[in-house]
Amino acid sequence: MSKVVGIDLGTTNSLVGYVKDGAPVVIRDKSGDGLVPSVVSVAEDGSVNVGREAQRRLLTDAQRTAYSVKRFMGKGREDVRHEAEHFPFRVSGEAGGVVRIGLGEREFTPPEISAFILRELKRRAEAHFAEQGEVDNEVDRAVITVPAYFNDAQRTATRDAGRIAGLEVLRIINEPTAASLAYGLDKRHTGLIAVYDLGGGTFDISILRVEDGVFQVLSTNGDTHLGGDDIDVLLIDRVLGDAPVASGFGRTPEQLQEIRKAVIQAKLDLSEREETTLNGQRFTRAELETLIAPIVERTLGPCRQALADAGLQASQIDEVVLVGGSTRIPLVRRKVEELFGRTPHSELNPDEVVALGAAVQADILVTGNRDMLLLDVTPLSLGIETMGGVMSKIILRNSTIPATGGEMFTTAVDNQTAVDIHVLQGERELVADNRSLARFKLRGIPPMPAGMPRVQVRFQIDANGILNVTAREERTDVEQAIEVKPSYGLTDEEVERMLLESFEHAEADFAARLLIDARNEAESVIAATEKSLRSPDFPDIDKADLAPGERQKIESVLAGLKMVLNSNDRETIQKWTHALNDATQHLAEVMMNRSVHAALSGRSVNEM
Amino acid sequence: MARSADFFSFLGLPRKLNLDMADLEQRYRALSRQFHPDYFYNAPAAERRASLEQSSYLNDAYRALKHPVSRIEYLLQIEGVAPKSAADSAKQVPPALLEEVFALNEELDEVRELRAGGAPAEEWKTRLERARTPIDAKRAKHESQLQELSARWDAAVDGGAPAEERRRILESLRDRFLERNYITNLLSGIERELGTDT
Repeated sequence: MSKVVGIDLGTTNSLVGYVKDGAPVVIRDKSGDGLVPSVVSVAEDGSVNVGREAQRRLLTDAQRTAYSVKRFMGKGREDVRHEAEHFPFRVSGEAGGVVRIGLGEREFTPPEISAFILRELKRRAEAHFAEQGEVDNEVDRAVITVPAYFNDAQRTATRDAGRIAGLEVLRIINEPTAASLAYGLDKRHTGLIAVYDLGGGTFDISILRVEDGVFQVLSTNGDTHLGGDDIDVLLIDRVLGDAPVASGFGRTPEQLQEIRKAVIQAKLDLSEREETTLNGQRFTRAELETLIAPIVERTLGPCRQALADAGLQASQIDEVVLVGGSTRIPLVRRKVEELFGRTPHSELNPDEVVALGAAVQADILVTGNRDMLLLDVTPLSLGIETMGGVMSKIILRNSTIPATGGEMFTTAVDNQTAVDIHVLQGERELVADNRSLARFKLRGIPPMPAGMPRVQVRFQIDANGILNVTAREERTDVEQAIEVKPSYGLTDEEVERMLLESFEHAEADFAARLLIDARNEAESVIAATEKSLRSPDFPDIDKADLAPGERQKIESVLAGLKMVLNSNDRETIQKWTHALNDATQHLAEVMMNRSVHAALSGRSVNEM
Repeated sequence: MARSADFFSFLGLPRKLNLDMADLEQRYRALSRQFHPDYFYNAPAAERRASLEQSSYLNDAYRALKHPVSRIEYLLQIEGVAPKSAADSAKQVPPALLEEVFALNEELDEVRELRAGGAPAEEWKTRLERARTPIDAKRAKHESQLQELSARWDAAVDGGAPAEERRRILESLRDRFLERNYITNLLSGIERELGTDT
């Protein structure tokens, strides 16, 4: 069986872990180092370096080396115009389009850069499993973590990065929630937990209730643009004097990276000691604290908001957990302790705890172990643009996911056959102040007088926190085609092309693999359908719950799929597989519903 | 799509307004363990989709029934006595509140004039606070009426009361509910008015 891992794809460092003999572990290199710096360097000969080596190249070949790319995930060119000045690499992209990062002659989207890091982690894990003497050491599936406050576009970009790296992304989970899983707080406690996660580029706060092994997130808040990087920029500014970093005093990008390296070292020193030297001068912890106090202060507002959203006072929190390298800073610890009135947990390495939690979640997904369950929330409200440029909210922030919301649309003029829907995420009143996620075009509405069509649009946020939209015209019961234009993302075709271009896949191999995947999926659907049809309950279900002709429909689609199964036509196999899935969905729901009564009567899951 | 008729029956609860919260939480967790997509990763697509649908529905149900106010709103909706459009009803002053709203609006106008004329904040804030006193009192009265009606509804469900009686209770609930929403909007309007100088 191929291997499944949990990955923390961080702003500064990335890690990979897995569950070994029931306990999560981080995979380390020979020197015992678990961290892979999230740095990618493309040499003049086109070879790509990732991690420590790429980090060294920042000092010799800065303009060909990318770091902190997580900050650009799911962003548009306009979003990063200001910030781009701080980086040695080129940041470009079309207006209204996705960011592009230029390294030498080549240009990459942020998911492509992230995919290099993911491939490095995949290699590291495969080498580890090979060393352990595992028969099948291929790593092709992963759980990847994201900041809880990441929006839909940022989550989708992360999933795309996984796909480009040749990984099936089992689940996108939130970093603070992953950390709480790693702490295994369920075993010791029933209670309320606050997870404070200050990393290299992002800040999250999540409030959870833990009971019966269920980790239920009550609220989450944060800032996806607040972290150790911001402290570094302040320190670099200090070294350079009052002039902005951008001018760089005519320094080369490599010299600026030397300064960046020095300030990071000084920052780390001051978490251990009272003073150090920076730029040949004495630099004290007190000075650092004065400088960074406003940054630490910015984390407290989201904490208070999360508490208010959960309907709690700070004093009601039973445990506080610290996550992220920046929580090593003594000032951060003091402020957190002050706010919650208790000493935070920091027994686990704050750099590793997220990867450990991702490994636990990956294990839950593949083993189906029901001891622990994570119920997370969507961090931002989801809505649509209505008259006057106002956002109308459909799914409120902190709703447990998966969650759904619906909205009825109609037409404004006679015989109109298409409607545009602009989907947004955010808390503000006006469209312009929120994040544009995508524009949808509903097509194929039957021609009718204005106001007559009733198009029910359904928004569903899945367990990854990612949006799916479907629509149905109620009078004719016709499923509407939806054309999606992501505001700051890649289309499926682009992702597939990038995957093909990634040098690890020769095109023919790839096509063969896709065909095998399609056949495997078809076979599993056939097996499941036959199992349902043979179930002792089926005759009863057929009589009581299925519509007339529903069984015949299932049987004929089943026969059709079996006929095409051994052909070499991937698309036909997929088409029939989808058809069988559609035909059996209602049956699957009915069968699942029948287990409800058993669940409610308090019997254990195993008895069902 | 066929599923349980409503949120109450989905959670195995009678259609009542006073719920044992610990019991609701316990049911929610038990059903989450049944349906959550985490446990269907290896299942075929139809089952995966069914799990997604069921757990979405469960989360929606839990959200609606968790808070007393949204629980009443949901009950009114499934019993078919909900107001036609929530937006329209929010604009229309409920007859029972005409007097208070009229007095409040007059007071608000005067406060705005005072502020425009540069009166000290203390002066107009005191007036605003005074103006909201009768509204606050009305709200407190509504809360207790809603509780009382909720108890009556539950008793009617338990006792198998005739349809007409149930309907009368529901209609009273709806009227109080709409007044309550109106008052809540009114009060947040005053909050905004008080907050605008900072």
